[in-house]
Amino acid sequence: MDKLIFTVIAAVILLVIALLHVAYLTYAERKIIARMQQRLGPNRVGPRGLLQPIADMLKLLTKEDIVPYGVDKPIFYIAPLISLVCAGTGVALIPLWEKFVLSNINVGLLFILALSSLSAYGVILSGWASNSRYAFLGGLRASAQVISYEIAMSLALLSVVLMAGSLNLIDIVKAQISSPYKIYLIPQIIAFFVFIISAIAECNRVPFDLPEAETELVAGYFVEYSAMRFSIFYLAEYFGMVVMSALAVTCFLGGWVGPFEVPYIPFFWFLIKLYFILFVYIWVRATLPRYRYDQLMGLGWKVLIPIGIVNLFLTAFLKLIV
Amino acid sequence: MNWDLIIFYYLAIVMIFSSVFAIFSKHPIYTVLLVLVMIVHQAFLLLTLGAEFLTAVQIIVYAGAVLVLFLFVVYLINLRKETKKNIFIRKVSLIAIVFLLFGALLIKNLLILISLKPSFRAYLPFNIEEKSNVWWIANYLFKNYLLQFEIIGVILLVAILGAVFLIRKVKTAE
Repeated sequence: MDKLIFTVIAAVILLVIALLHVAYLTYAERKIIARMQQRLGPNRVGPRGLLQPIADMLKLLTKEDIVPYGVDKPIFYIAPLISLVCAGTGVALIPLWEKFVLSNINVGLLFILALSSLSAYGVILSGWASNSRYAFLGGLRASAQVISYEIAMSLALLSVVLMAGSLNLIDIVKAQISSPYKIYLIPQIIAFFVFIISAIAECNRVPFDLPEAETELVAGYFVEYSAMRFSIFYLAEYFGMVVMSALAVTCFLGGWVGPFEVPYIPFFWFLIKLYFILFVYIWVRATLPRYRYDQLMGLGWKVLIPIGIVNLFLTAFLKLIV
Repeated sequence: MNWDLIIFYYLAIVMIFSSVFAIFSKHPIYTVLLVLVMIVHQAFLLLTLGAEFLTAVQIIVYAGAVLVLFLFVVYLINLRKETKKNIFIRKVSLIAIVFLLFGALLIKNLLILISLKPSFRAYLPFNIEEKSNVWWIANYLFKNYLLQFEIIGVILLVAILGAVFLIRKVKTAE
């Protein structure tokens, strides 16, 4: 029973920290993009606009929740929750530190892939239940995109699994530390790039934000949502970013290990690497224009998946002869 | 009443009811969703047995790929007429035969489950924890059942080629 209580407390702490990260990720995104576009960004609420995420949240909570005429109500209500749960649960599987992982299961990597494959449902169902052309097209695009890029992502992660010889995320980090280069970024640089590109596509972020392309689809699958339900979709997107970045840190950048130990803060290096990957996400958003739909599918099926397969075969071959 | 039993009964009841409702639901999208609920609960039933790998594979393959394709198909075809029909078949004798067949199958499976030898029980997921799930499955697939595994691979490849052949554009000579 003690163990159960401890786990619940740890889960709540982790959830609060993750939510804070998600909230301030939106702030960081607005500030960084503003900087890149020579604007100021949010600077009215609190010192340097630091309270902006809290103000946004309060505004969204107090707004009217509009349910349009003709929607399929049960599915319309449940779709945002599916998105949020599937995106957020991945946090529980990421080892922040050797001794701090909420659920250390032997096939942690596969579970994260399973959760990300389930998150397609939130998008498809909300698109269908909204009873709107824009939302429906957005939902169809999203499901095609998520399914296609999942294959490339799995192939990239499989080469890491081959190198480490385990699907357990803690074992993967330990295998990285004992490998000659300390991190898998150097031997698996191709897999890393394939993973990052498909992770951006999985999270429906610019330049692959076809499902929510403002210029064509208004807002895509969540165009009919308002207030709290809209903000749940928003939360899910940023949660997805955090989980994917954390997975990249764990599988390619050596997890919690750094060049030297920082006293009292065992998560220090993990967080530094996480923030760097998140910065790359935002940087890409500020820099690149959106892909066309056929280009997106072409990139997924004709470039990333073949590269992933070749890389997987090379890794297996090298593992066999070395 | 310990936790294992409570969780097992919860999973079993939800699975039975969601599959029954999936059969009787007239709305195709709700049917797919109820099957999704059933599959996720089934995956967690496997997790309570300690079969982590099967849980993940179950969700990735069935929930993540197969059911998404079903949803796609349901979106793309028009099912207005079907949702207005009252019942699928009216012949009572036919229904009785199907129920009898499934009942016999169920009883046969229960008998097999009861008569499992202890040696077989040693390979239930809980009892093989020294090596991971993945190791055992790989060991069996690639050592004991390699030929069957390869044959299934070839069959799937043939199926994919057949699908591609069916949808390709035929160039007519003009």
